[in-house]
This record gives sequence, structure tokens and C-alpha cells, in this order.
Amino acid sequence: MKHAIKLTAAAFAFAAALMAPSALAQKAQPGEADFRALYKELIEINTTASVGSCTAAAEAMKARLVAAGYPASDLHMIVPPNNPREGNLIAVLPGADTSLKAILLLAHIDVVEANRADWVRDPFKLTEEDGTFYARGAEDDKAQAAIFTDQMVRFKRDGYKPKRTIKLALTCGEEGGFPLNGVSYILEHNRDLIKAAFALNEGAAGQIDSRTGKYVYNGVQAGEKIYQDFELEVTNPGGHSSRPVADNAIYRLADALRKVEGYKFPVEHNTATLGYFARMADLNADKAQAADMRAFAKNPVESDVAERLSKDTTLNATLRTTCVATQLSGGHAPNALPQRATANINCRIFPGHGAAEIQKQLETAVGDPAVKFTMKGLSGPPFPPPPLTPDILGPIEKVSQQLFPGIPVIPQMATGATDGSFLNAAGIPTYGVSGIFEDDERTNAHGLNESVPVKSLLEGREFLYRLTRLYAGGK
Amino acid sequence: MQSTHLLAASLCVLAGACATQPDTAAQSAAARAGEPEFRALYKELLEINTTLSVGSCTRAAEAMKAHLVTAGYPQSDLHIIADPKRPQDGNLVAVLPGTDASLKPIMLLAHIDVVEANRADWVRDPFKLTEEGGYFYARGAADDKAMAAIFTDSMVRFKRDGYAPRRGLKLVLTCGEESPNTFNGVKYLIANHRELIDAAFALNEGGGGRLDGKTGKYLFNGIQAGEKLYQDFTLEITNPGGHSSRPAPDNAIYRLSAALEKVSKMDFPIEFNDATRGYFAAMGAITGGAEGADMKAAPEGDPAVIARLRQNPGNNSILHTTCVATQLSGGHAPNALPQRAAANVNCRIFPGHAPEEIRKQIETAIGDPGVKVSFQAEPENPGPPPKLTPDIMKPIEQLTESMFPGVPVVPAMAAGGTDGRFLTPAGIPTYGVSGIFTDGETTFAHGLNERLPIKGLMEGREFLHRLTQAYAGGK
Repeated sequence: MKHAIKLTAAAFAFAAALMAPSALAQKAQPGEADFRALYKELIEINTTASVGSCTAAAEAMKARLVAAGYPASDLHMIVPPNNPREGNLIAVLPGADTSLKAILLLAHIDVVEANRADWVRDPFKLTEEDGTFYARGAEDDKAQAAIFTDQMVRFKRDGYKPKRTIKLALTCGEEGGFPLNGVSYILEHNRDLIKAAFALNEGAAGQIDSRTGKYVYNGVQAGEKIYQDFELEVTNPGGHSSRPVADNAIYRLADALRKVEGYKFPVEHNTATLGYFARMADLNADKAQAADMRAFAKNPVESDVAERLSKDTTLNATLRTTCVATQLSGGHAPNALPQRATANINCRIFPGHGAAEIQKQLETAVGDPAVKFTMKGLSGPPFPPPPLTPDILGPIEKVSQQLFPGIPVIPQMATGATDGSFLNAAGIPTYGVSGIFEDDERTNAHGLNESVPVKSLLEGREFLYRLTRLYAGGK
Repeated sequence: MQSTHLLAASLCVLAGACATQPDTAAQSAAARAGEPEFRALYKELLEINTTLSVGSCTRAAEAMKAHLVTAGYPQSDLHIIADPKRPQDGNLVAVLPGTDASLKPIMLLAHIDVVEANRADWVRDPFKLTEEGGYFYARGAADDKAMAAIFTDSMVRFKRDGYAPRRGLKLVLTCGEESPNTFNGVKYLIANHRELIDAAFALNEGGGGRLDGKTGKYLFNGIQAGEKLYQDFTLEITNPGGHSSRPAPDNAIYRLSAALEKVSKMDFPIEFNDATRGYFAAMGAITGGAEGADMKAAPEGDPAVIARLRQNPGNNSILHTTCVATQLSGGHAPNALPQRAAANVNCRIFPGHAPEEIRKQIETAIGDPGVKVSFQAEPENPGPPPKLTPDIMKPIEQLTESMFPGVPVVPAMAAGGTDGRFLTPAGIPTYGVSGIFTDGETTFAHGLNERLPIKGLMEGREFLHRLTQAYAGGK
């Protein structure tokens, strides 16, 4: 996911969360070996924008569906003609009741870059170590891509006849490295293929307390902040580095970045975040912070309370728009004064604001007209959060109680963008849910040594399998 | 002042009344004898390709050796030396023994390798000597085959003329000056043949006369004594990174930005040495006016004077060590917190300071142990600049006055980059001097269409021939 985040904090420990012995811990689920092989195969196909190929990964998943018995007419490789490495796969399992709209299972198969030299283990080999899977994409988002593909295989093999049509969409370009975004490409060129009543997607997970290992809550994402990158650029005539001059592109950019670092966007709220603060307060072992959360839920304004909550990076991301420098480049030779220096500022915009407005605020904070701001990529229109109706929430709570008895389900607004932003804007309400419980401090998606607990992955597989069947009905 | 002198010199020539010059005229004529042979040798040397990519210094060294053999040097005084691992990168050492064994010899040093030149980019074939409009065009026409040819030609003539110097003379033609990161002939000779090349001091490239490109007026005869030391430093900070949707206070890019801000404010102490004192005195006189007065007063260290001089980046660069950020990189994806941010800081170190001392100063200025400051490449062994003693300066001044009356001799400290940086610390003080006058802008050494004024080349030939004899003594 392009952003991530389950709203969590290390301090949270669900007082009543017991050991949460998952209901399936006792017996191995059917086809686990096949699932592990599929997951490994998908992980080990490099799908980074630099050297990888989503098309290769999509073809590999398609081959598994063909082997399971899907007819060619229900399998669609969608490869943009000018971007042959950016292939997407759509698979359809037709429902018995054609009056019902389909359910869409969405996962992206591209991954963030990973530099072998920086990782402890090869990021493109699946390593199982001490109950943990390590690899780039182990969590984000090949876990869900593998789980969804595996269940499509099982549905077909088991002769399952859903009432609702089930569609699987494995897409490329979610992480932003590739030129195209698969979901928006499909919406533009093959919209009918992914039309659905609603979609299940990445964007939420179960939360494990990092100290105790206890399950805290099962998150459901409904709505998210808007993702927007800005490029900051300073240019300069340059010259020979043996004769430095006062005006230097790198120093000017560094100064601008310090201003961005120091700038804080105002505190905001909406009903989703207020609900989050109110419910999460009950799970917070840090009594002082819990009190602050309750206080903010009652009176959501700039205050010492909000200030204290902002110290927690997760809560801070729920309280306001955030912008952070993520990339840097400058200069062309070690012995020449830089002619150009640039930085990428990644913003997660609180719902209700446009990117242009945020750019203005950053420009004012930097206060140097020599620093040029450019909006990067598409900036979609803001959209309202998808409604968390009982039809949606009910099955999630039911399966969650089956597998994780006593663990509450908590709705969330994600602090970054998933492909749900495109689908929601296109009228397909999209919910993030996985049933995969993680310790955020260890998963480190997008970062070094990305990992997922093996147990959690298998639980997520069971959770999503049951959930899809519950939504789709039939036998 | 120098214009008066030049005027007087012209009058002297015009009137044919240079009563004090007959001795000089005879010397001049003798030193210029054999010009056709010199032109042939220069052409031969230029047309042997000695680029690192496809050329051979060994061939050029063999060709020059053949001239010396023909002139009568015994094989025992001629040494072709190549690193066995690099047979095409040979050097030549030729010895003309002195009559006074108590005196150490003089080294005549020139490199015979040249910078790459792409025929397609040049107007003329870079490996054919073209004479056009008073210029010789070819790769190496100036850098450094002019001096290599002049020194070899002198050695040939000394032998032919039966010249018996008091001090021995050692011609050292080397390879790899332009590619020190691959290998360097002088370093190889110091490491493996220190005795063979031992000398009291060395004459080398790096100096030269400067003329006004518009008026043709000779401005000064530059003598290089010492050079700033080139050193790149890598500033690097790492961080666990993570999702950019949840910015953490500790950010590699911001910390690097803060470090660069500190580096930008670093101000190394003002220093002087023989070369820069002489440079400011002489250039102050040439420059005149308020700036000239400031230059002359510089070594007294009045802060107001220094502050004014530092407005000019050229003056600033010879007043002290300078460091400047030249390259920048950081982050691995727009949507991930940076795991690494790095900058290159390029320093030109005032002679007498070790790179490690500068590295520590940068570290202290940054004051953040998270920012690692390291050498980008293994530092060279710095040493104090060679002393500009009267024994060295007097012959240069007398000969300059004789050949270019009224043109001052100006000591200079180069920004770095000749083999003097290896020889001087190895105990052989190395001075850059050539007597070849150019405008400093249209020679295009290292660049396209390298060229040298023929008049300047012939004057340099006379100058160096006479200077060598003046240093060596004998008859």
C-alpha cells in the first residue's frame, strides 16, 4: 500500500485482549502447502519498477487459475501496449444470481524498490525464519495478492458456486514507481471488467501489541487521506568547485527542507477519526494518552491535548495533513558546483483539501521564490469515505469473532492512499481489511527487511476466505 | 607599471639599440637552434596516441628514447619503466650525469599521457598536429606534450653540444598523470625507483605565462609552488525508514539538510604561504586600484581587507581551505521515509593540512554523530608546499627579465592536480614553470580543439633550455 497504516501505537495494549488464541491455530487449513508455494512464487518474481515485471507475476498467477480450471474467457491479462512490464490480471468467477453486483478482490502485485546490499537477506527470495516471512512484498501487498489468488483457485477446485460474482484484480503501479497506475488504467480502458458492488483491498490489518504479542484489534479501513508528491527544485549556474560561491543550489534546498521540517499543518477531524479516537482510547494502556484521546474526541481543537497526541507519529497522521521529504538528488560531478538540486515532498492530505492548497501552504513556509514547487502525478478529486453499512461491517465482525474471539473490530481512516482512492472516486466503495495481525514496528513495509509473521499470514488467508464466501453467498 | 616596461622593451627592439643585450641575443639564438628537429619531435610525440583507452605511453617513451640514443646517450642512462601489470603505460627516465657529484641532480618532469579526445567532436583530427593561424592544434599540444617535447629536445641538444652540467639532469617522462584513480607513473616511480629519480628539485607543468587575449600584452610569468589538496568527503546518514504516511521526527534527509547548513557556514582560517604571499604582492601590482591595494595588503591580515578580497571567489579560494557541497542523494521511493541520505562535500585543502584534520573539522562543525563523514577516496599524502627560495626564484626572475623585460614573475598556488602533489611530499620539491605564454582561456587543455600559440611554444623552448642550464651550471 502506498502509504500504509493501521492507526496504532506501541503503547496500545488491549486490556481485555487476552492471549487471543486464534480459532484455527489448532488445525492446518486445507491447501496450505499449495498456498505457500504460490506465495513464494509471487514474492520471488521481482516486480519493482526499476527492473521487475508485473506482467511476469500476473502471468504466473494466471497459470495457476488456468490449472484450477478457469476458462480463458474468464481470465484477462490487461497489459498497456506501451508499458509491457505493467501487466494486470482480472479473473472472474461468475455468480449464480445475475441480479447481484459482483464483489471485487483487489491487490497490487508491484512492490517498492529494495536494494540487496541494504537488506540482511535477499529481498527477492522468500526467507522463513523464526516464524516470520522476510521478503520485499511479504506484506505489502503480495500477502493479500497471494491470499486472493489462492482462494480463487480453491473456489474453482472445490466447485464453489457463489451467488454474487467474484472478481479478482491483481494490478500494477500502485506504489508509484511505474509510470501507470493499473487500477486507473483499467477504469479507463476496461471498466466493465472490474465493476463491482464493493471491493476488498489492502489498507487495514490486525494489530499486535509489540511488547506483549497480544492481538489488540482488527482494523477495517474506510476512507483515506489523499496522496500527493511535490518536487522542490533549485537551479544555479554552477561553476568550478575550487571556487565556491555564496549561492549554492544544495544549500538553498537544504534550507527549504528545514523549513518544511518545521512546518505543522493545523489539527483537523472528521467523524471517522473522532470515532477512532473514542474507541481506541479504550484499548490504550497508556492512561494519560487514553484520556487525551477521549478529550480530543469530545473537543477536537488545537490544544495542549492535540499537541501531546501529535507526539505519537501514528496519532499525528490522523490529526492533520502531513508532508515529509522522502527523496533527494543534486549535482552532476564531485568537482563542480551543483547546477540543480531537487527533493520529493510526500504529502498525505486530510480529506477535504486539494493539493494546490497544500502546495501554497508549503511555499509560504519555505518562503524562497528560488525554490520551485511542482505537483507530481495525478491529483484525484477528494471523495467521501465509503459508508460502513451493516452489510459490510456485519460479515467482518462475524468472521473476526469466529477467528479472533474477543478482539474488537475498529474502523479507521487510513493515513495514506491505496488504490481505493481510484475505486472510491469511480463509485466502487472500497474497504481495507485483511485479518493479518502485525506488529507495525517489525513489519516495516516499504522499508528494510519487510516481514510478516507466518501465523498471521495463514490466519489472514482463512479470514479472507471465509469473508469472501460470506459476502458472496451460495455454496 | 608593467606597461611602461613593455613600452621600453618595444622601443629597445624598434631602435635596434639594445646595448646591454648582445650576450642575451647570442644566448637566445643558441637556445633556439635546431627548431626544425624540435618541430619534428613535437609532431612525432603528439601523433602517438597516449590516451588511457586505446593509446600507449610505452610507444611514446620508446620514440623519445630513440632520439636520445641517436644523440649519443648510452643505454645505461636510459630506462624504460613500466609496471609489469600495465605494459602499455611505460615511463622513460634519462640521465645526463653532472660533473660535481656532490650536487643533487635536477629533474625535468613531464607527463606523456593525454586526456581522451573524440575525433567526431573535434574540428581537426586530435592525433594529427595541425598548424593553423599561428597555433598548433592537437590533443596534448599544451598538456603536457609541449613540455615533454621541450625537455626531450633539450636533453638531445645537451648531449650533441657536449654540454657538461655541474648538476646532473634527469628527464622523467611519465604516464597516468591524467588518470590517477587508475594508476600514476610518478607514484609508481617513487614507490619502485626512488633512487633513480632522486633529485634536488623538479621542474614540471603547472606554471606558465599569462597574456591578455585581446591586446596580446604579456601580463606575468606564473610559477607554481604547491597546490591545494583535492579531497571529496561523503556525508551519510542512515535511518530505518518506514512509511511516509507516518512521518517520524527523525528523518535522514532533514538531518542531512541540517548538516549541510552547518557545512555551508564553515569558515576555514585565512592562511598564507610563500606562493600566495608572492601571488598577492605581484598580482596586486598588476591589478592596481583598490582591489590591487587590498591584494598587496592581504598578508597583513586586516579583517576588512580580507573580507573585501573574499567577495571575489578566485581570491577567496587561495586565502584558505574551502569546502562545498556538490552532490546530493537520498531516499529510495517517493512514498517511503528515507533510509539513507548522502552528500558529497568537495574540499580544496590549503597546503600543510592533512585530510583527516579537515574531516574532523567537518565532523565537529556538523555536531551530529548520526552523520558519518568519510573520505570519498583514499586521501593523498599532503605535505608543505615547496619553498620558493632565492636559489629557485633568482634564475627564473633573471631569465624572465632577459626574455620578457618588465613582465613580473608571479608565484601561484594551484587548485590542485599536477604530479607535484606526489613528488613534493616524497622529498623532491616540484615547481611549475614553462615560460609558455597563453591567454589562459583559449588553450582548451582537457577540452575540445586543444591548442597552443606557436610563438609561446618556441619561447617556452628557449626559456626552459636556458633555465635548465642556469640551474645546472657548467659548460
